Amino acid sequence: MIDTLLNQLVLAPVILPLLGTGLCLAFGRLAAAQRLISIIILSLSVAAAATLLFRADKYGPQSFNVGGWPADIGISLVADRFSALLLLTSSIVTLCVLMYSIGQGIVEFGRDTPLSVFYPTFLVLNAGVSNAFLSADLFNLFVGFEVLLASSFVLITLGGTEARVRSGTIYIVISLVSSALFLISVAAVYAATGTVNFAQLAQRIPELNPDVALLLQLLLLVTFSVKAAVFPLSAWLPDSYPTAPAPVTAVFAGLLTKVGVYAILRTQTLLFPGDQAKTLLLWAAILTMVIGILGAIAQSDIKRVLSFTLVSHIGFMLFGIAIGSELAIAGAIFYIVHHITVQTTLFLVAGLVEFRSGTTNLDLLGGLARHAPLLALMFFVPAMNLAGIPPFSGFLAKLAILQGGAADGTPLAFAAVVAAIATSLLTLYAMAKIWNRAFWQPLGEYEADTPVPLAPESAGGSLYGGSGVSTMTQRETSWTEASEDARLPLRMALPTVALGAVMLSLTLLAGPMFQLCERAAVELSDPTSYIQAVLGNA
Amino acid sequence: MSANLALIAVVGILVAAGVTLVLERSLTRILIGFVLIGNGLNALFLVVSGPAGAAPILGITDEPMSDPLPQAMALTAIVILLGTTAFGLALAYRAWQLTGTDDVQDDLEDDLIRRRAERDLASATFDDGDDTQLPDEAYEGSDQ
Amino acid sequence: MVFLVTLHFVAAAGAPALVKLLDRRAFLVLALAPAISFSWLLAPAVRATSDDPTYEQYSWIPGIGLNLDFTLNTLSAVLALLVTGVGALVLVYCAWYFRPNDPEIWRFSGVLTAFAGAMLGLVLADNLYVLYVFWELTTVLSFLLIGHNPERRANRRAAMTALLVTTFGGLAMLIGLVGLHQLTGTAQISEILANAPSPSTALTVSVSLILVGAISKSALVPFHFWLPGAMAAPTPVSAYLHAAAMVKAGVYLVALLAPTFASTPGWRPTLVGLGIATMLIGGLRALRQYDIKLLLAYGTVSQLGFLIAVVGAGTQSAAFAGLAMVCAHALFKSSLFLVVGVIDRSVGTRDLRDLSGMRAARPMLFITTVIAAASMAGIPPTLGFTAKEAALTAFADLGADLGWGGWGNSALVGIVAGSILTTAYSARFVWGAFANKPGVEPCTPRDFSPAFTAVPAILAGFSLVGGLSGPYLTEHLSTYSSQFPAGKHHGVLTLWHGLTPAVGLSAVCLVGGLLLFYWRRPVAAAQHALVDRLPLPEAERGYQLVMRGLDRLAIEVTARTQRGSLPVYLGIIMITLVLVPGVALVQAWQKPAIYLADNPLQLVGATCIVTAAVLTVRSRGRMRAVLLLGVTGYGTAILFVAHGAPDLALTQVLVETFVLVTFVLVLRRLPPFFSDRPFNLSRWVRVSIGGTVGLAVSGFAVVAVNARSNTPISAHWAGPAYEYGGGKNIVNVALVDIRAWDTIGELSVLVVAATGIASLIFLLTDRSAKTERPPQIATADSTSWLAANLPEQRRSIVFEIITRLIFHTVVVYSIYLMLSGHNSPGGGFAGGLIAGLALMIRYLAGGREELDNAAPIDAGVVLGLGLATAALAGLIPTLVGGEVLQSAIFDVSIPLLGELHVVTSVFFDIGVYLVVVGLALDVLRSLGSGIDDHIETENAAAKAQVNS
Repeated sequence: MIDTLLNQLVLAPVILPLLGTGLCLAFGRLAAAQRLISIIILSLSVAAAATLLFRADKYGPQSFNVGGWPADIGISLVADRFSALLLLTSSIVTLCVLMYSIGQGIVEFGRDTPLSVFYPTFLVLNAGVSNAFLSADLFNLFVGFEVLLASSFVLITLGGTEARVRSGTIYIVISLVSSALFLISVAAVYAATGTVNFAQLAQRIPELNPDVALLLQLLLLVTFSVKAAVFPLSAWLPDSYPTAPAPVTAVFAGLLTKVGVYAILRTQTLLFPGDQAKTLLLWAAILTMVIGILGAIAQSDIKRVLSFTLVSHIGFMLFGIAIGSELAIAGAIFYIVHHITVQTTLFLVAGLVEFRSGTTNLDLLGGLARHAPLLALMFFVPAMNLAGIPPFSGFLAKLAILQGGAADGTPLAFAAVVAAIATSLLTLYAMAKIWNRAFWQPLGEYEADTPVPLAPESAGGSLYGGSGVSTMTQRETSWTEASEDARLPLRMALPTVALGAVMLSLTLLAGPMFQLCERAAVELSDPTSYIQAVLGNA
Repeated sequence: MSANLALIAVVGILVAAGVTLVLERSLTRILIGFVLIGNGLNALFLVVSGPAGAAPILGITDEPMSDPLPQAMALTAIVILLGTTAFGLALAYRAWQLTGTDDVQDDLEDDLIRRRAERDLASATFDDGDDTQLPDEAYEGSDQ
Repeated sequence: MVFLVTLHFVAAAGAPALVKLLDRRAFLVLALAPAISFSWLLAPAVRATSDDPTYEQYSWIPGIGLNLDFTLNTLSAVLALLVTGVGALVLVYCAWYFRPNDPEIWRFSGVLTAFAGAMLGLVLADNLYVLYVFWELTTVLSFLLIGHNPERRANRRAAMTALLVTTFGGLAMLIGLVGLHQLTGTAQISEILANAPSPSTALTVSVSLILVGAISKSALVPFHFWLPGAMAAPTPVSAYLHAAAMVKAGVYLVALLAPTFASTPGWRPTLVGLGIATMLIGGLRALRQYDIKLLLAYGTVSQLGFLIAVVGAGTQSAAFAGLAMVCAHALFKSSLFLVVGVIDRSVGTRDLRDLSGMRAARPMLFITTVIAAASMAGIPPTLGFTAKEAALTAFADLGADLGWGGWGNSALVGIVAGSILTTAYSARFVWGAFANKPGVEPCTPRDFSPAFTAVPAILAGFSLVGGLSGPYLTEHLSTYSSQFPAGKHHGVLTLWHGLTPAVGLSAVCLVGGLLLFYWRRPVAAAQHALVDRLPLPEAERGYQLVMRGLDRLAIEVTARTQRGSLPVYLGIIMITLVLVPGVALVQAWQKPAIYLADNPLQLVGATCIVTAAVLTVRSRGRMRAVLLLGVTGYGTAILFVAHGAPDLALTQVLVETFVLVTFVLVLRRLPPFFSDRPFNLSRWVRVSIGGTVGLAVSGFAVVAVNARSNTPISAHWAGPAYEYGGGKNIVNVALVDIRAWDTIGELSVLVVAATGIASLIFLLTDRSAKTERPPQIATADSTSWLAANLPEQRRSIVFEIITRLIFHTVVVYSIYLMLSGHNSPGGGFAGGLIAGLALMIRYLAGGREELDNAAPIDAGVVLGLGLATAALAGLIPTLVGGEVLQSAIFDVSIPLLGELHVVTSVFFDIGVYLVVVGLALDVLRSLGSGIDDHIETENAAAKAQVNS
């Protein structure tokens, strides 16, 4: 009994949130009940994910064929070290963000609606992400993506303010396109191989004419690159993320792009081993890193700066994947986990700044270091971590990737190393800019001598009134009553601190953590264990 | 396995038409474009499912049956498209409600940066270091 | 040793609490951390300097060679003692430097203590990466310390400059370290030094990259400009970071690597050259400062250049002298900075034009200063003197030791010139701080605790002791220099070693310096004239230009890449899709096997789809476009039929209808024609992009289909579908059983979509938002057929009657379709859609009351129930020991519908059914009733306006 249950544990991270969604909708009008359900469900998924990681690490990939159908017929879900690790990270992050949003009172949204919105949607999002991480079936991966996308559509347009509708539209249309690309790729893959099961694909794709295989590989690569926001397919991200409510932006920034990166890493290692796409990936990595971080420097709003760093640092992971050595892959995995936590924490902190000051616009902020020292600390540490300042996890992961790149020895790899270094410096610069403006500079010091902002006609009025970000700002301050008082609301600060603690634990436990990533990388670079887990020893 | 030209033509045309519409600004057109693309992809799944055949239902005929898996996938895709389209329409309505048009607007922050670029300005957060030279004896000395 | 470093960080963490408790006296407690470390290190340090180093190693992340290796050898011992000793004294000094209940010191004290820890870690580290970790930590902490008072813009900029410049160097160094690690295969420094890698370009590059780090950290030309700016920090910080500790990191690194790598091409010329250049530039700058703190700052720049030159020269005697100089400099420079602090605090100015009469007022302080300054200027009997003599001797033999010949002598001239400047600005400092100046009335310094002055006095005292204890130091320091090949002479520290050239040179430095000081005005004027005549490139301006250029670049690049326009983004994606996989497509293209069609019906379907599609693109009216869209949809259904996919065909027809209705519900509000404003992408661009994408996709399809290598997995489905899945309709079995997992995901998509639709229509953020009307069930004795409240002209009795007549039949049929779907076309989706359409008919016929009448229930509940049912239907088998979504089969007979072959997966189908119905209900409530309400409120408002 216990064993059968443990075997089916793989389903828990997906099925539990869906059940929760059903319950939440059924309890449509009781915010309290929904709150409780969501918390319980997410805590359970954290527990499930932890168990999965433990078992995957101890006994090898945990797989389960849904409906008891043999793998070559039905759908199977697999949690190997890599999946389980990301699963655990994502569920912890989601839980923290949930707590935060409860603290922020985002539930207020749900009150007047025929069916309350936030909790069910949030749970479905979680289910979709988990499904994407677990699925061992290309089409089911597509479904997982659709699930998380659909819920993200709802979350990003939450409240339907003008700014959110505008940016939400960009996000939604782009996502629909990527879904279409995904379907095309699935169709092509099935046409060529007659299966969508990862394990079988891993066996059948090598039998294909290499040119066709390359075609399939590039199709999937483009698809996932849109989702992962890889240059030149990345421009949509900074235009769509920042306007959403802080917790939503946070969880998007943390998780969604990483799902794309996960898909790239999974397919590259499992289905298309070898370095046919190496040059392409390296170029993409370099451009993503550099152009992304240049964008960050140009911005004047915390959330937008963070969104651009998000894009830029996708390049680091891509770099590791492109190099493809076990060390580099391990570094990339570590970097993914690190980046999920740090980026989410930073966006939550940005939310706190917004909550306290009513804006995240650097021209309107100031003096926070003096007046909100705790907030300053809560920003400074993750910011330095993001900038790759040692000894934090960001540096450690980056170091592994850099070593991988240096060991690779090709000129392009060296170029990527240099680009990565430059990006780190510029990230530090971007963070220091935020620090200087929002935390050190006395409030309103520049209002005298900054040139009057060039307001676009389309904005109809002042920059801040018109700009997406701060339209949202006014909106949010209007529904967070406490925004006037200077004290940080504990209910929002604590989850942020908790997530920060998780982030720091990556540094403190870096030793075992990195060894785990190395084991995961070894597992990835030799797919046999994965294939066996799915198809059995047949 | 050889390809069905008629179906492939349908796929091509539908996708082409769809993409053309998706590149428009009116959200309604964009959505129409996506439904077109969606139909095109359904046809694509027919293409990849190989030759036509009897309905994949046991006990009707003994003719070779059409491949059920692509049908299942297409069906799932259809329904998902249904959901997202409906949502997109609600969004279009909301956009119209707010702005009086369902045209997709450009991002304003990007526009600001573009204006800075046109005027060769630095970023709004750039701290240009025209620091005041501290007085030192060389400059004093020259006064005398 | 790890323990000592952690001790600092623990203390730092406790600092804020301590400050709350003891206010500024907390510094005295914090000083214990470095003090304890100092005393603990003393014994092992003495052992280390007698050639018995200690090692300490813990494994951290072996995968990347990052292990906590620490060592205490002569070099690190000397530095560690300086760092901890001076650190402790500076912390003590802070207890008086800051005013009582300064609101900022809780942060400052913590950061400073943490910095002391980082610095200690840096000098003890025996692992490349551990060294780098502490290296960067010192950078970041100094950033915070320099910005201690961020209100002044200049301070913020100084902090930023220091951060960026040193981090730039640090990152360059990181590449070098990684390279060195790659070349040697180990990251443990002592190992690398023990067995050096064979020289190669890679090695040269790595080493020079590391040197970039050292140079930037120690503020050598061209990076020197950040250090004077960093004087924005409180004086104790300057005394510690910018005299004793952080800026020494670069010198330390050079000294650490010199024994093995000094022979690397470019090492000696670079370091000696840059060092001397820095020494001269710094000295000249120092000579013109009015702010005595800035004077010291430039003096430090100059001295650092001197140190790097000596340490980097890489001969035995030079290395020996260099180490001695490091000690001397740390002692006298920190002492002098602390003196500045005392003056600043007690008089309130640091401008030597306002300082006067301090000698009389503060004799003790004066003596301290004289001793320290003497050590700086190299006047006996101070350590500064003995060390500098050693350096001069070493450079006198440089040419001989290295076979440099003339270059050696020119280097010697360089440092002599530098030393002359040093003497000059030392004199200027003492004069500026203490002399009586004509026309300036004497300052009356505030009183302060003697402990305040004691600290600099102690440091100055050590300069004296050091000078007198030459032999002892010689013995212990030479264990470091003995790593180098023996040169022409062995370095010694002594006050008098006969009439050697060095003595003469020292005299030259002394006299020349004093003369320079005496003629300071003309010298300054000459300097100024020089600066004006040939405007030398100013490093700081260069830095600013770079930063500005960077920022402009960022703006330009972002302006080009970040267009903010959706069509552009989509265009880019599409083009990428055509180009990237397109290349592979071209490669993979072979003459494909193609046939026209399976049957005529396909051709029929194809033609009407194609025509409809083209017309859709051309149509300018919204409704027209939507109807044509419908045609393509039904055409696709025909294709499904022709292909042998009845389930698909059925669902497609229903979905298409559903979509049409939904479109209509929304479009009734939108303007009838598409707006005609100028687009970013001209029409033809769009069409051509669309065309190419269409071509590409067809191409992918052709190639992929022709490449089919294997029988599809679904070939073997028939048997299992029946035996295991218990259904004849394989597609349906696939949906609710084989691939039920997909279906579950799909259901959640529908649920979420429904949720989102409602959330968008019922304005959620506005508190003013009106709630959804509670369902109103019309009373039974309603006179009309339907509970419709539509205006008469919109009502059609026939329509209403038919609706009422067929509704329940349709619903029953939909249920049957759902139940029987397992064996014949149909299933949950078809059933649910039909029921949904039935509801739509009710709504269209009778308006929203009619809808509430037909389905008096909240859409959310239906959706929730549906999802829960599906999920549970999947889970139940687990509880009875089966597996998730596994099916159990049994037969039941249902009246009217006859024998029914029921499988548990039917419950799954019920879930599907409910969700689809829920979606339909939600769409009608939101896009139907909801929009009705909006219309009515608007009309009401309009009326009100008319009336008023």
